[in-house]
Amino acid sequence: MKTQIDDTYKKTPGNTEATSQWYHTAVATAVIGGVFSLIILEVMLFNYFQRTVAEPKRAEKLDALKIQLQQEPDDQQLIFQVLELDPQSDVDPNRVKELEVIQAEIRNNPDDKQLLPRIRQLYLQIKQDRIRQLDLQIRQVRMRRWDLSQKGSYLLLGSVVVLLIGVKSAYAYRKKLPAPQPAPDKRKEQARKAMQARWAVTVGLITFGLTALFLTTRPWIDFSAADMQATSYPSTEEIRKNWPRFRGPGGLGISAYTNVPASWNGKTGEAILWKSKVPLPGHNSPIVWEDRVFVTGADPNNREVYCFDALSGKLLWKRGVTGSTKPIEVMDDGGPGYAAPTAVTDGRRICAIFPTGDVGCFDFDGKNLWTRNLGIPDSGYGHATSLAMYRNLLLIQYDQGGAEDEISKLIALDTFTGRTVWETKRPVPNSWSSPIVAEIGNQHQIITCADPWVIAYEPNGAELWRAKCLGGEIAPSPIYAAGRIFAIEPYATLIAIKPDGRGDVTKTHIDWSIDENTPDTSSPVGNDKFIFLLTTEGMLTCYKTADGTKSWEHEFDYNFLASPSLVGDRLYLLSEKGVMLIAEISTEYKEVAKCELGEDCFATPAFMDGRIYIRGMENLYCIGEEEAPKQP
Amino acid sequence: MAENKNDINRRHFLRNGLWAACLTGLGAITGALSRKCSAQNLFWQIDPEICIACGNCATYCVLEESAVKCVHAYAMCGYCRICFGFFGPEPHDINDAAENQLCPTGAIIRKYLKDDDPYYEYTIDEPLCMGCGKCVLGCNTFGNGSLFLQVRHDRCLNCNECSIAVACPSGAYKRVPADKPYLLKRADSA
Amino acid sequence: MIRFVYIIVGMAVLLLSSGIASGFERFPPPDFESGYEQPSPTTPNPRQDIYEYIDAFVLLAVLSLASYLVLRKRRRRLIFVLSILSLFYFGFWREGCVCPIGAIQNVALSIFDSDYAVPITVMIFFLLPLVFTLFFGRIFCAAVCPLGAIQDVVLLRPTSVPEWLESGLRLFAYVYLAAAVLFAATGSAFIICRYDPFISFFRLSGDFNMLILGVCFLFVGMFIGRPYCRFACPYGIIMRQLSRISKWRVAITPDDCIKCRLCEDSCPFGAIRAPTEDWSPQDYNKNKKLLVVLILLLPVLVFSCGWIGFALRPVTSRMHATVRLADGIYLEETGQAQETTDTSSAFRATGKEVQDLYAEALDIQAEFGLGGWIFGGFVGLVIALKLIVLSLRRQRTDYEAGRAGCLACGRCFEYCPKEHTKRKLAKETIDKS
Repeated sequence: MKTQIDDTYKKTPGNTEATSQWYHTAVATAVIGGVFSLIILEVMLFNYFQRTVAEPKRAEKLDALKIQLQQEPDDQQLIFQVLELDPQSDVDPNRVKELEVIQAEIRNNPDDKQLLPRIRQLYLQIKQDRIRQLDLQIRQVRMRRWDLSQKGSYLLLGSVVVLLIGVKSAYAYRKKLPAPQPAPDKRKEQARKAMQARWAVTVGLITFGLTALFLTTRPWIDFSAADMQATSYPSTEEIRKNWPRFRGPGGLGISAYTNVPASWNGKTGEAILWKSKVPLPGHNSPIVWEDRVFVTGADPNNREVYCFDALSGKLLWKRGVTGSTKPIEVMDDGGPGYAAPTAVTDGRRICAIFPTGDVGCFDFDGKNLWTRNLGIPDSGYGHATSLAMYRNLLLIQYDQGGAEDEISKLIALDTFTGRTVWETKRPVPNSWSSPIVAEIGNQHQIITCADPWVIAYEPNGAELWRAKCLGGEIAPSPIYAAGRIFAIEPYATLIAIKPDGRGDVTKTHIDWSIDENTPDTSSPVGNDKFIFLLTTEGMLTCYKTADGTKSWEHEFDYNFLASPSLVGDRLYLLSEKGVMLIAEISTEYKEVAKCELGEDCFATPAFMDGRIYIRGMENLYCIGEEEAPKQP
Repeated sequence: MAENKNDINRRHFLRNGLWAACLTGLGAITGALSRKCSAQNLFWQIDPEICIACGNCATYCVLEESAVKCVHAYAMCGYCRICFGFFGPEPHDINDAAENQLCPTGAIIRKYLKDDDPYYEYTIDEPLCMGCGKCVLGCNTFGNGSLFLQVRHDRCLNCNECSIAVACPSGAYKRVPADKPYLLKRADSA
Repeated sequence: MIRFVYIIVGMAVLLLSSGIASGFERFPPPDFESGYEQPSPTTPNPRQDIYEYIDAFVLLAVLSLASYLVLRKRRRRLIFVLSILSLFYFGFWREGCVCPIGAIQNVALSIFDSDYAVPITVMIFFLLPLVFTLFFGRIFCAAVCPLGAIQDVVLLRPTSVPEWLESGLRLFAYVYLAAAVLFAATGSAFIICRYDPFISFFRLSGDFNMLILGVCFLFVGMFIGRPYCRFACPYGIIMRQLSRISKWRVAITPDDCIKCRLCEDSCPFGAIRAPTEDWSPQDYNKNKKLLVVLILLLPVLVFSCGWIGFALRPVTSRMHATVRLADGIYLEETGQAQETTDTSSAFRATGKEVQDLYAEALDIQAEFGLGGWIFGGFVGLVIALKLIVLSLRRQRTDYEAGRAGCLACGRCFEYCPKEHTKRKLAKETIDKS
């Protein structure tokens, strides 16, 4: 068939083999244009390779060099590294000579201490030289690349135009006149063509359908489904049912359960479900989320987070939080120690902070999600402020130094990434009080206490109100009860503030204050009617929340470091010696029970469904009945 | 034959009707949209308040050298000796040496104002800037936030769909009218 | 000095953090006493609007000239020269934006998004070629469109594409048009611009993958005439329909057709329609039944394809940034994705509620559901109509340029012996006078 067509073409007048003299010129033009285009194309591809592969590599190398510059090697490492340096890779001939001299001197006199300053200086200079050299090279290459790609593309365009002109005119000179073939049976032909076209369209339809089928079978997310409720932060209801932070839901020291044990004995083992040793000590309180109990512990060199199984007391995992390398000094004996801040969880992640400024975040399986170091806080006794959470924000009240240093701040980190979402400067010196997040009206307020300000923030870090009413070294945390914020100045005053103000509310929103029997360490606990204060020395006082009139007071022979908690209408007071005093709230002190643990206790216990988790100096206890009735 | 002629007439009529309908249709679209047509052309611009300085501007522009560059709102600048847009974290020394600079292209010029000790002026050398936003991030995180990224309209091709806007993680790209082609940061807006 | 120490410490502390929070006044701007004058940031102006109007005017001028050249002058060479000029003006000089093809999306977005006002010049770019098509056929394709011109330039050795293949492949263009309108109307993406294969050539820079796609199109275009125009161009689809009913249009011969068949293979785009033969009664009857079936099939196809479009909404809606964001956030929230992205971090920094985001995504998905019905319904309608049209009896006595497919390039003119006679006559008349 093909030859037949060719024959026909040849037989057609005008379709001879003879070609115009310009034909060869056209072909030559095309070849030149083509070769030129190919060469430029190659250069441009190389240019592209530079951009995608070589340049990022160089940039990485530069970053590495810059980081290296920041590290200061000790003497031994320094000498070793200087000996390792290759003099040939430096451009400056003076530097090469100097390096060779130094290297020779080190080899001759390995212990000559007097050489060290010289070595250090030379090492620094060489490092700087190399960075500058590489930096210059990167910039030059980039500029060359920009230049080349611009010129190259114009050249390429030009050469392609030449190529096309050549090829097109070559074809034009070889143009063949049409030579129609004898027509086949048209009638059959057109019916056949129509049918074929219909089939082609049908195939198109099928392709459309199959593609759609393929696309829809891939997994996708149904936003209308119920599990959309699964969010990164727990609902208020979920928080209420757990003990997610220092002093439980909202930091108020109030348990959602009333079926909490009221009788146990650590010495006989009565009602002690389990007792597990916590590897490293710490004064922080246990936090509980469903079947997991978390505590942290530390010594001068190690900082660890522990996860216990709430049912068996088994240590499920322990993870180190390694951010800083330098050990710090804190007041250990009688002070907060190396692991005073209580961790916080949202049921998905657990975050812990240590007085070194290390913050670690883990998922419930112990996988380290992120670690940050916020810098060692300048805190008189050591950082002891516990963490708070609001939705995806980890809230860190990072008060340090003196007020005039302007280094105190409230930091919000994204719990997903550990990145700083916002931070706000605070005009206060170091403090040891923990922030709470209170739902007031339909707004959440972050309440912080320090000398001299009680400041409330919005969850976006903006300040809502502040009241100047505290002084000294603030350790007790604020609470929200009966529509008021209660803040404590140690040994001095208890202040009730109405939280609906804006700006400086010192003169306008302080409802009342009293200055008797205020504690220095433990935080208050209260309900709609009463607020209870418990001093370290054992004085329990009950005030009316409405106006601050004293209802009654009672003195114990115990010392208290843990904060009091409210379970239903019972007060739970844990003394330093491990004796839990349980009292009913009424118009006078009425002791219901007194349970001994047999171990000293600093930390505030966690109250859950039928159980109490108490951290002693060495052990973690779970108190409750084996078949404790579940309470919703 | 008469029937055939009728057929042709009918076809002719149908075609004319359809033709008129199509013309009316085009007219209708014009009419409907003319009310909300803008006489001005629209241009792409970055809202500096939303921009997170991720660095995509430097790489996603269709131009080899991005049309996005850093702009300095001098009125907001603290003229600090240690500028967080100029120096990398933990600068080794406070000088212009390459190892201390944050900018990968050295596009920020640091000038000591000797009459106004201890202040330093920072200017952007625009031809060198490639819009990576490293300085913007530094300035926003630690400083006053006076450095920010803007689409430079002398370079921008004004693509119908900006390819950086597609890659922008925070949705900071907007179409702005020609009479307000820049969204500059101002001292009072901070 | 102490302050600097703290600053350094602070920077060390936040070394690896990349705070999203926008800066605020941490260091008060100084009060200059020496008379230092604060520079202000430069704001180079964008291209002035007047130039946009000039572009629109150039478009009008080129369209008019092209109509004259195609319908009156009938010279392929002149048309080609004009198309090269347009290629350089609208392509290389104006760098391909904005073009009527992309303007479809602006118009669609403007119709459905109350916040988006389409610039008048874009509107003109969209409308002018369509109006010209209504009057003169696909003049725009012949000599104005830079995308067409660049393909025309590389066309070296046209091979004919079988009719069935052409019919099948053209479906893609319909789907492409429908998808482009769907994505533009929902404010998700301008896919025509995103996947414009030639724009990188016009700008002499661009995404590597798109450059490769462009090279592929041009390579195929060396052997198959204008593959983008025939099998992908969404604007071409609109023009096809309009040019079916155009007032005037390209005629192969300036005179009566003598059916010499010389022009038969002259069209590289397979747009020349040959005279038809009457059907045999047997074929006629068979076709009648088929036609009935196909007409009954029409609503079925429209409905089922519409349903497919609806069912595709989880996939199609992912073109929308908000839905993609919601997807990413959901995966992170439920722990299916460990790594966070810049996008999700940026979202979290805004402090917006995740639930609100999901609700928004759900709304957009619902929009895509409705849009999907229309998208699918349109595709189904196109397929059904195509099947019906393919089974209709055509009557043609002459060789003529297909009403829809003819790109008015004028290649066939030179093949007609009548054209040559006419030109010779004209020349003689001129010589004589």
